[in-house]
Amino acid sequence: MATAPALSRQLAEQLDFAHLVQDGRVHGSLYTNPEIYAREMDYIFHRGWSFVAHESELPNNGDFVVRKVGTQSLLVTRDNKGEIHIHYNRCSHRGAVLCQTNSGHRPRLTCPYHAWTFSLDGRLIGVPDEEAYPEGFNKAEAGLARVARMDSYGGFIFANLVPNGKTLRDHLGRATELIDGLLGLSPVGRIKLNAGWIKHKMRSNWKMIVENQVDGYHAPMTHGSLLKANQTFATVRDRKPKSATRVRDFGNGHTDIDHTRDYLEANDRLFRWTGGIDPARLPKYVQAMKDAYGEDEARRRLIGGPPHSMLFPNISLAEMNIMVIEPVSPTQSIQYTCPVFLEGAEELNARTLRRCEGALGPAGFLIADDAEIGELTQMGVANLEPEWVNLSRGMGKEEILPNGITQAGLMDETSQRGFWRHYRATMAEGQEAA
Amino acid sequence: MTVATLEQATLTERITRFLYREALLADEHRYLEWEALWDDEDALYWVPMRQGADPQTEVSYIYDNRARIASRIRQLNTGLRHAQSPQSGLRRIISNIEIEPGEGEVVTHSNFMLMEARRGEQYFWAGRTTHVLVPEGETFRMKRKTINLVDAEGPIGTLAFLI
Repeated sequence: MATAPALSRQLAEQLDFAHLVQDGRVHGSLYTNPEIYAREMDYIFHRGWSFVAHESELPNNGDFVVRKVGTQSLLVTRDNKGEIHIHYNRCSHRGAVLCQTNSGHRPRLTCPYHAWTFSLDGRLIGVPDEEAYPEGFNKAEAGLARVARMDSYGGFIFANLVPNGKTLRDHLGRATELIDGLLGLSPVGRIKLNAGWIKHKMRSNWKMIVENQVDGYHAPMTHGSLLKANQTFATVRDRKPKSATRVRDFGNGHTDIDHTRDYLEANDRLFRWTGGIDPARLPKYVQAMKDAYGEDEARRRLIGGPPHSMLFPNISLAEMNIMVIEPVSPTQSIQYTCPVFLEGAEELNARTLRRCEGALGPAGFLIADDAEIGELTQMGVANLEPEWVNLSRGMGKEEILPNGITQAGLMDETSQRGFWRHYRATMAEGQEAA
Repeated sequence: MTVATLEQATLTERITRFLYREALLADEHRYLEWEALWDDEDALYWVPMRQGADPQTEVSYIYDNRARIASRIRQLNTGLRHAQSPQSGLRRIISNIEIEPGEGEVVTHSNFMLMEARRGEQYFWAGRTTHVLVPEGETFRMKRKTINLVDAEGPIGTLAFLI
């Protein structure tokens, strides 16, 4: 066929990520091409650090959760000594998945097929009719397959499926300050993610959800219906271009919308970030914060509120919610949402739960519309022209701070460009490593 | 049997008529008429993520008190709610109705199967619904509507219509 070489040349060109991802525009095929998607699963999710679970989801020895990283189903367990482990969800005998439910509690893991049994730290401890195996068979060598690397920060557990490369701390870089900011709203510095995860089917590419999480431009339009119907619930801050809020690029693909700055510069009321709860209704929490951090610092934290950020590649600290993005296919994703409960802030937690349900998830006043816009965008980029997606808003007006963070106005696309810059580097590095 | 007794609908008939009416208003996006079926103050529209969930500690898809039901309806009525613009085509079948008469209120359980059509795709929803109804003349008002989806654990698609 005469066209074949031309096609393959075209394909090779398509996967030149320096061409596909430019500063200010990205190619539409990045959201649709199955080959690109397959490479992302490998280069970004399997060979990089992904969020898997939070320690508070496994409060007791014997607890487990099942999570997906890239294409892989992983089993997170807390063993009988309280240690956390991550193994592939696959029996070392004939390959059946060991846990069929998303979470639960078990003293040990028994395969439903032939009842090979494993301890929660992955050792093979039981094989029915073991004598029948040949002499060389060694149970000690037949445990579950452990992921190459696991590490955590602030209770957030991350996995990396390859042994070499950046540490988790190197990957998070300056973005640890965002996690610290969230934990610092608890008088004891700890959060709990134990209300369950809402799982929402999104008919869009995972990267569109990433881009939207830190998009300061869309709210008045995408969420216009809520602004009209319930101003109090929808808007707790200035959403106009003149807002003091900045979008920021922390490097390594981590970005945020810094609403905290807006609240602090305005020397705002306490708790505006909760939708405006009267501090008099949270007396124990306010007192516990003062006791823990001192009057001035407690006040600063309770004015500033939580981060609104996206940590590369799959976890968003979305104010008082954690949102996790699980890619399913080039055109489908699942968005996970869990409200953040602050240890030592029970008065607030009940309200956080109700606010999460109102705003987020498949029936939420906000996210249902984000999902719809994501679907429309996914449908749109399947059209071949004009080829490029424009992300140039605010280019040339960015400010690089002494600490290396790049920032621009609330409605600028600095956050999306920050994501894509790291995406391009990761995909190119992966190509070299492959 | 007299004509009078024939005309006096049984409790079962009146409840069935109410459940069908509620389903019709939801299917046809008649938002204000649907909202008017609710008690003016004491109301809870609840879609949990598992049957028997504790809504004070576990997150739900929907946990609307009366004010939040009103907010949901106002948002739909703006016509700008992208997730329902255009509106989904909806028709649901209600069946397997069981009735527990109580003191001043009636609890009903019923199954539903709902077909949602949107952009040439069809999505299938099903579950069992519990209504807590307060008699008002020949009809009722809703105090509680709890929808236990068969796939409550999820993931589920966008649920911006009235289920």
